[in-house]
Amino acid sequence: MSFTRRSFLGTGALAGISLFDPDIVLGADKTLTIALPNNPTTLDPMQISNHDSMAVSNLVFENLLEVDLDGNVGPSLAHKMPEISDDQTIFKFDLRDDVVFHNGAKFSAEDVKYSYEYMLDPKNKSARRTLFAPIQEIVIESPTRIVFKMKHPYRPWFQYMTKFMGIFPKGSREKLGDEAFKNAPVGVGTGPGVFVEWKQNDYLEVKKHANYWRKGVPAWDRMVAKIVTEDAARVAYLMTNQAQIISAPPPREFERLKTAPGIQTGSKVAVGGMWFMQTNTKRAPFDDVNFRKAVSCAIDRKKIAKDVFYGLMDPSAVPAPTVVSYHNAEADKAIGYDPAKAKEYLAKSKYASNAEFELLVPSPPYLFDSTDAAVVMQSQLAAIGIKMKITGMEMPQILTRDIAGTQVASLLPLMGPSDPTFIIQICYQADQLMSKSSGWTSPALDEAMKESYKYQDAAHLDPIYKKIQAILAEDCPNIWLGFVGVSNAWRSEIKNFKPNTGLSIWTRDVQFG
Amino acid sequence: MWAVGGRIASSFLTLLAVSVVLFVLVHTIPVSPARVVLGIDATEADIAEFDRDHGLDKALWRQYASWIGNAARGDFGKSIIDDTSISRQIADTFPVTLELVLLGFVFALVVAVPLGVISALYEGQAIDHLARIVSVVGVSIPGFWLGLMLIAWGAVSLGWFPAGGYVPWRAGAVAHLQSLALPAIALGLYYVAIISRMTRSSVADVLLADHVRVSRAMGLPRRRILTYVLKNALPPVVTVAAMSFGYMFGWALIIEQVFNIAGMSRALLSAIFRRDYLMIENVVLVITAVFLTANLIADLLYVWLDPRLSR
Repeated sequence: MSFTRRSFLGTGALAGISLFDPDIVLGADKTLTIALPNNPTTLDPMQISNHDSMAVSNLVFENLLEVDLDGNVGPSLAHKMPEISDDQTIFKFDLRDDVVFHNGAKFSAEDVKYSYEYMLDPKNKSARRTLFAPIQEIVIESPTRIVFKMKHPYRPWFQYMTKFMGIFPKGSREKLGDEAFKNAPVGVGTGPGVFVEWKQNDYLEVKKHANYWRKGVPAWDRMVAKIVTEDAARVAYLMTNQAQIISAPPPREFERLKTAPGIQTGSKVAVGGMWFMQTNTKRAPFDDVNFRKAVSCAIDRKKIAKDVFYGLMDPSAVPAPTVVSYHNAEADKAIGYDPAKAKEYLAKSKYASNAEFELLVPSPPYLFDSTDAAVVMQSQLAAIGIKMKITGMEMPQILTRDIAGTQVASLLPLMGPSDPTFIIQICYQADQLMSKSSGWTSPALDEAMKESYKYQDAAHLDPIYKKIQAILAEDCPNIWLGFVGVSNAWRSEIKNFKPNTGLSIWTRDVQFG
Repeated sequence: MWAVGGRIASSFLTLLAVSVVLFVLVHTIPVSPARVVLGIDATEADIAEFDRDHGLDKALWRQYASWIGNAARGDFGKSIIDDTSISRQIADTFPVTLELVLLGFVFALVVAVPLGVISALYEGQAIDHLARIVSVVGVSIPGFWLGLMLIAWGAVSLGWFPAGGYVPWRAGAVAHLQSLALPAIALGLYYVAIISRMTRSSVADVLLADHVRVSRAMGLPRRRILTYVLKNALPPVVTVAAMSFGYMFGWALIIEQVFNIAGMSRALLSAIFRRDYLMIENVVLVITAVFLTANLIADLLYVWLDPRLSR
């Protein structure tokens, strides 16, 4: 066979056709494009562990209640907040009667019972089953009324509803399989966005749910979530209008974006955006309370917040942001930055002469880059005579060691629900996910936690939360560093958008200006 | 003929050796992929079940034999992270990366070869110095920085190009080529420097050869002499260019990241972060195969251009 110019051109044309990519056409009318930094791992609401996934999954799935952008719980598929029994163990929900799934089926109490029971069944391996474990029984009273009976009072589960669970149609799991929920949840949600396509490492697309029960929203016809991992590229997408909203703008660029023409920015402290040094009290040198306090008092959190995170972090030595009503300033001060006190604690510790430890730091970064902050901490600790070795490690490896309790210290950025007891529960209570990572429990803390579950109001809860912080400051099992500020930047033509304390971008209510 | 056969066999054996090393390296990472897939609260029993389901509990050599056998049949298996077809992912992303690399390669050749020839012809003159400066700048600028600068200049300031992303053909040829122009330049500039220096050096050497001096003495036209020179100077340039083509697949990892192009390199990076063993193995194997193929073609072209080598 001869290789002629004609055959060359023919082959070239075929090659060109083979490069054709059945991609979407961007820039169509009423398309909202957002840029996310990480590739979602799943869209299955009962397996979600990544806040970027939630930017899409929370458009597809809904729950009885939802947490608004400011962290307040309100009704969603339930048309009002539940009636709660005096002993805080029975929750009666009245459901909306005007909700349909994306497949056209009418939503009812049967779907709620099915969804929760499927998630609670251990054989279905829901990642967050233990958080809903206090649910004892679910009883349907009518198609629009359902009752949850709890084993004991358990206030935080309202917060977990939006983040770790969604309602899907009865029988859908058996019909479609879990894989469909993970990769292509077609027809199984009630939310404002109907799943269209997920192209790995590139984008996810949803379209408007025509029969959505909230009338008038969403304003968009399509919402495309582009995965743009590079910080600078994400900013460039915004500047060139390739994306109208971006998540996690780099802190060093944030100040500049505030004054950029045509760009709006916003940031707020997320109660769930925790950042702390998970120290193991069962292992040297953190088995000595004086050493733990020496480390805590040696770290200048405000300097790190200002110089490394450019103000996008709320520094705190206790598990509560400084801006909330339940922040215990006294406890914060007791173990906060004070080099003189740090030296005193170190002198009293049994590791005064050989003060050194290894800190595991997520690498590549998870949620935000904490490597620079670790280096600053290293120099601050060196100033009082503590040698800290930094070891970069992937987050799953760090978590594996933490869960097994084999780490000495790890730097953990976690994104949890807004309930202040969430992290306390999983780290400092027996038989919980991260119990071994701290190796520390306290009967007084357990009692305070149990007490907190009975209440919903700040008047009762704030003193309990403060007491919890005081207990933790007294023994300092871990070194708390602060709370990450959630920040977004968006084009000025996008209206009715603001950062979500839940850390994921919330696009249901945005309007085009 | 034997020389050609030997080179093909050598490439095949190299690919096989790389596959063994790759497999061992990837499978000796300490954390089980089950931990990544099943989540942080998976029990040891869950992890054991996952390993059993995915054949990760078998002896390494059995896993290797199974993998390489399936790969040879074009079946790359399924991702252990999300069960998606790896063959499909490679089929989706490989054309994107290939097109980017081809454009970068064409850009590099179109700029580098004339630049190198002119530089050699006018050795020591202003244009030669200019070409050297271009070369030094080309090899000195990190690709990711150049990419960011091109975005800042071409997309944000001028608005001539998109800031990132891959626009498919069906969105229009202009939009498609616009989306690949900056990444191709960022990818190709380094190789402009490399290839132009090799071209200059090779042409300069041939210009001093006896046959060129004889041709000049015989009064042959300059253009004809240049044709002889280029033909004789071409073999080393072809080798460097072919190796550059292979290396470009590696550099595309950074360029696709900076320009947010969902190509195969980006898929590889994502797989690395997710500990998607099978995806990593297969993508690297494909890139290795491309690299070896490029080198094989270079060797064959070398033989074709210089028939003495086939004897």
